[in-house]
Amino acid sequence: MPRETPALLPPFSRPDSRVAIRRVPNYQSDIAAVLYETLREFDLPVRGKVVLLKPNLITLDPLGITNTNPAVIAAARESFLRLGASEVFIGDGSGIDRDSQAILESMRLREFTRPLAKIFVDLNVDDVERLRFRTRASRLKELYFPKILLRADFVVSMPKLKTHHWAGVTLSLKNMFGAVPGACYGWPKNVLHWAGIDPAILDINAAVRPDFAIVDGIVGMEGNGPIQGSLKPAGVLILGDDPVAVDSTSVRVMGLLPEKVKHLAQAATLLGHIEPQKIRQLGESITDVRNPFTVLHEFRHLRQDPNSPLLNQNCL
Amino acid sequence: MDREFLACLRGLQNVDGGWGFNAGCDSRIEPTAWALIALHEFSSPGAVDEPLERGLRFLTAAQREDGSWGAAAGQSEGCWVTSLACWALLAHPQFSAKLLSGLRWLNDDRPRDSGFLWRMARKLVDRSRINAQSASFSGWSWTPHTASWVEPTCYAMIVLHAKAAASLSNLPRRIGLAHGMLYDRMCPGGGWNCGNPRVYGVAGQPQVGPTVWALIALHETADRRANRESLDWLESIQDTIVSPESLALAHIGLGLYGRQNSKLAERLQSSHDSSALPWSVQAITWAALAFSENPGWLNVVSSKPA
Repeated sequence: MPRETPALLPPFSRPDSRVAIRRVPNYQSDIAAVLYETLREFDLPVRGKVVLLKPNLITLDPLGITNTNPAVIAAARESFLRLGASEVFIGDGSGIDRDSQAILESMRLREFTRPLAKIFVDLNVDDVERLRFRTRASRLKELYFPKILLRADFVVSMPKLKTHHWAGVTLSLKNMFGAVPGACYGWPKNVLHWAGIDPAILDINAAVRPDFAIVDGIVGMEGNGPIQGSLKPAGVLILGDDPVAVDSTSVRVMGLLPEKVKHLAQAATLLGHIEPQKIRQLGESITDVRNPFTVLHEFRHLRQDPNSPLLNQNCL
Repeated sequence: MDREFLACLRGLQNVDGGWGFNAGCDSRIEPTAWALIALHEFSSPGAVDEPLERGLRFLTAAQREDGSWGAAAGQSEGCWVTSLACWALLAHPQFSAKLLSGLRWLNDDRPRDSGFLWRMARKLVDRSRINAQSASFSGWSWTPHTASWVEPTCYAMIVLHAKAAASLSNLPRRIGLAHGMLYDRMCPGGGWNCGNPRVYGVAGQPQVGPTVWALIALHETADRRANRESLDWLESIQDTIVSPESLALAHIGLGLYGRQNSKLAERLQSSHDSSALPWSVQAITWAALAFSENPGWLNVVSSKPA
């Protein structure tokens, strides 16, 4: 029998969210120190708990421009262990390339987090359990999910700061598509596209409910993301205890409007806050780190400033 | 080397007769089918192979009433793993009825992009700026009611080459459309990825796995320029391949077209000790199959199409 997903809270009964923005100029910086100090401020309930880090490991990435950077993943792992987590796993399931080992080797993850064999879980082929959705945002009534994801005490979505050619942006909510097992749904997980990308994002996050989000915005991607866009240095890590609030803040940093991003606007009714007055901002202000990302013509309505650049059509 | 892989494979068999994707994982159809193909490839004619027999019992017991197989226990519909299950049964005539039932399901399973209305809509709306693929072709989907993609199309095409499929109605037309779809979805310059050769004008990056499956599925047109270009691409990147799954598949694909490279085999052997992750059941089976001197498991694509 499929398991029922947890109940949802209406917006008025949810506490304010906390989101921190930290400047990190490059991947050679002491990211572990920045993350550890920031995570301590959140006083997260991870002592003695099993933590699953869910980065975005979508494709071969030898140049480090597409996937969550290994330095950030390693720093997060180290930080959660220092905060007392009993185990910290790293898991993802690419939606377009089933050779996870090739992806990991291309980005040299094991040089940062060895030994990888004991801590990495390929979410595409892990054992699975069915979850029945409470939300009916999409036509999906249930999906299989990896057991490690459902059994972890604390799940951290760790996307890269990127635009997306179908969803507008891909941040901590869209990143959870990677938790849907390819071995059940294929490469790509096309059932999610046919169900509607935006409503499927909502259903998946309402079911899995990541506890925390850390966005790697040190170097992001703009334009035709999530894999064919252009490198965009933004020099920030954005993290918080409400993935919707973290994504909204990230979108504002990208010079875009969160309320115009369909899945974010929908998520605000069920899963978290997008209104600035409900988000307690820690660290840098959004204004100080704002760095407009180019978007495809199809997503021009997302821009805060209508005069900010679109993806150069000449490159098409 | 293949003996070591086979011993490893036998050691990973679950009590229920199936295999999971990794050691200690629940039995699933996909790794079980691959394990059975590999065990049969190296079995001695007439000899009783107990793990093979148990595996076949697991596989056949998991077949659904409609002839399909699901990717995970309890899945409400069958899916692409039906092709792999059928492939594993090809060599076992005692299961011919189950095989035929699976092949029938595959032949009847239509992707959503093959429907008349959908194709008309795609032709009426100009999407050439987004992607340039033709709506005239279709193949097979990963899961029911979704679109055609490269890998499931390859698996279905390969297994529907079997003589057992010869009696299926309308099969040549479906194979023809799938054939067209695969060539239409080839990445510019050769090779395949999941099925997006170009998005917003940017050429898709080919991948080893889909390229090898497409080259196997399209073996009957081995002399076409597209096949040669794809083999050239595979050869050009072979020194950069590091994972055992891709190394094994590249060796299999190049070998089928007579472009064997002994270095790939050596690197595959040595990668076992240096691997970042434990080898999956699929990596083990493909590695074993890569070392098969007379790959009988690929005879299905060498024989005359059904």
